[in-house]
Amino acid sequence: MTAYILNLLVLISVYAILSTTLNFIIGYAGIFSLAHAVFFGIGGYTAALVAMNVTPEFFVAVPVAMAAAAITSLLLALPALRVRGEYFVAASLGLQVLAVTLFSEWKSFTGGIGGVIGIPAVELFGYPVYQPWQFLLMSLICLTIIIVIIRTLVHTSFGRSLKAIRDSESAALASGKNITVIKTLSVVLSSALAAVAGALYAFYMSFINVESFMLDTSVLVMAMVIIGGTATILGPLLGAALLMLMPSALTYLTFLPQTEIGSIQQMVYGIAMVLLMIFRPGGIVSSHPGGNK
Amino acid sequence: MLFLQLLVNGLQVGAIYALTAAGFSLIFGSTKIFHFAHGATFAIAAYLFHFALVGLGLHWIFAVAVAATSAVVFGVLLDRFMYAPIQRHEGSFFTVFVASFGIGIVVQNLLGSVFGRGFMSVPTPLSNSVEVVPGLYLSPLNGLAIMCAIACFAALHFFLTRTFVGKGLRALSENPELVRTFGLSPRRLSTYAFALGSLLVVPGAIFTAAGTGINPAVGHHVMLISLAATIVGGIGSLRGAACAGLLIGVAENLAMWKLGTQWSEAITFAILFFFIIFKPSGFFGRATVS
Repeated sequence: MTAYILNLLVLISVYAILSTTLNFIIGYAGIFSLAHAVFFGIGGYTAALVAMNVTPEFFVAVPVAMAAAAITSLLLALPALRVRGEYFVAASLGLQVLAVTLFSEWKSFTGGIGGVIGIPAVELFGYPVYQPWQFLLMSLICLTIIIVIIRTLVHTSFGRSLKAIRDSESAALASGKNITVIKTLSVVLSSALAAVAGALYAFYMSFINVESFMLDTSVLVMAMVIIGGTATILGPLLGAALLMLMPSALTYLTFLPQTEIGSIQQMVYGIAMVLLMIFRPGGIVSSHPGGNK
Repeated sequence: MLFLQLLVNGLQVGAIYALTAAGFSLIFGSTKIFHFAHGATFAIAAYLFHFALVGLGLHWIFAVAVAATSAVVFGVLLDRFMYAPIQRHEGSFFTVFVASFGIGIVVQNLLGSVFGRGFMSVPTPLSNSVEVVPGLYLSPLNGLAIMCAIACFAALHFFLTRTFVGKGLRALSENPELVRTFGLSPRRLSTYAFALGSLLVVPGAIFTAAGTGINPAVGHHVMLISLAATIVGGIGSLRGAACAGLLIGVAENLAMWKLGTQWSEAITFAILFFFIIFKPSGFFGRATVS
C-alpha cells in the first residue's frame, strides 16, 4: 500500500511539473500548445540516452535534456509565434503528430515502438537514487524549484510583459515590447522545464516508450491546467492531483466496466472542460471568478 | 504508373479534405468560432453512417440521411448550447477553443466505448479496383468522391452567392456590426453557418468510412488537415481552404512514392510550416495580424 501511494505521489509530482510549466505559457502568455508531451518525451529520451551512454549523474543528464527540449521548441516557436494565436495551436498539433511518428521510427534515439529499456538509476553527485521515497523527495524538490522560478518570473518585468501581451498584443506592441522575443523565450523556458519532468519520469520508470508522449498526454496536461485554473500557481497542482487520482478513484466504483476506465476518465475531463468554460472559465482555482480573460 | 496511381488516390483524398476544410473555414470565417470539434462531427457522421448501413442494414440512401442529419444536429446543438452561452459572457479564443476541444475528447471516447477502438470500414463493391491501364487501378469510389466534391462546391458557391442566407453569411464574415445594423441576427446566421459547415463533412465522412476506414481518433487527423488547409489557404477564404485541402491530399499521397505511409502527416506539417514561414497569409488570405 505504501509503495502504491508513493508511486502515485511521484507520478503526481512529475505531472505537476508538466502542468505548472504548461500553465506558464497558457495562463501567463496566452499561448496554446498541444505539443507539451513532445518536450516531455524529448527530455525523457535524452536523459535516458545520456544516462546509458555517458553518466547517470542528475546534474549532467537533466541539463542536457533541458537543452535538447529548448532547441526543439525554438524550431516550433520561431516561425509559429510570428503570427496569430490560431497558428500556434495548428503548428503545435502538427508537431505533436510528427513527433509521435519520429519517436516510433527513430530507432537509434528512441528504440522505436519498443522504447528504451534498462535506464540506470539516477545519481546525485555519485550517490544512486533508487528508493521510491528518495525519488519522491527529489521530484518534489524539482517541482518546488520550478514553481519558485515561475513565480519569481511572473512577478518580474518579463512576467508583466507576458501578461500585457496576453491581454492585448497591440497595446503591448505599442508600448515598445518586443512581442516575438518575449513569447519565444517563454515557450523555450516552458519546454526546457518540461524536459525536467521527462528526465525524472525516465529515471523513475527505468523504461520509456512512445505511449507516454502521445497527443493524449498533451491533452491530459492541458486539461490539468484548465480544470485546476489558469494563471494561478495552485491551479495546475490541484489539476494534476485531481486528474492523476481520478483513475484510481474510478476503480473503486465497481459498477463501471473496468476496461473502459481510461475512456471514462477522458470523458469526465472533457465534460469538465466544457462545463467550466461555460460557467467558470478561470478554472477551479480562479484568479478572476466569473472570468474576464 | 505508380506516380499516376498515387496522383489519382491523392485527388480523391484531396477532394475529401477540401470539403471538410471548407466546412471548418466557413464556420471559422463567418462566426470567428474556432470549432475544434469539427473533427468530432466528422467522426459522428462516419460512425453513424457505418452503424445505419452495416448495423441496422438500412439502404444506403437512408444511411446517408442518418449521417447528414446527425452531423447537422450535432453542429447546431453545439452552437446553441455550448458556443452561445460562452459567447454571451465573453467568448475569447481561449474559452471557445477549450470547450470545443473538451467536446472533441468526449465524442472520441464515447465512440470508442460504443463502437470499439479498432479500424472499421464499410464493405462495398464500389471500392473494388479495376485495372484500367496496366499498373493503374481505379475504383468507382475514386470518381464518385471527386464528382461529389465538385457538385458540393458548385452548390456551395450557388448558395453563398445567390441566396439571402448565403449572402448574409458572407456579410457576417466581413462585418458582424453591419449585419446587426441591417436587421439580421448574427446568432441566427451563426446557426446556419454551423448547419452548413457540418453538412460539408458528410461526404468526406462517408467516403472515408467506405474507403480507408475510420477509428475514433479520426477526428484529430481531420482537425489537423482542416486547420492546416485553413491556414495554408488563407483564414476566411473558402476557395483557399478548398485548394489547400486538395494540395495536402495530393502531396500526402505523392509522398508515398518515396517515403512510407507513416510520413503522410509529416508532409501536412511540412506544408503548414512552409506557409507559416514564407506566406503566413496563405493563398488568398487577407491581413494576418489579429
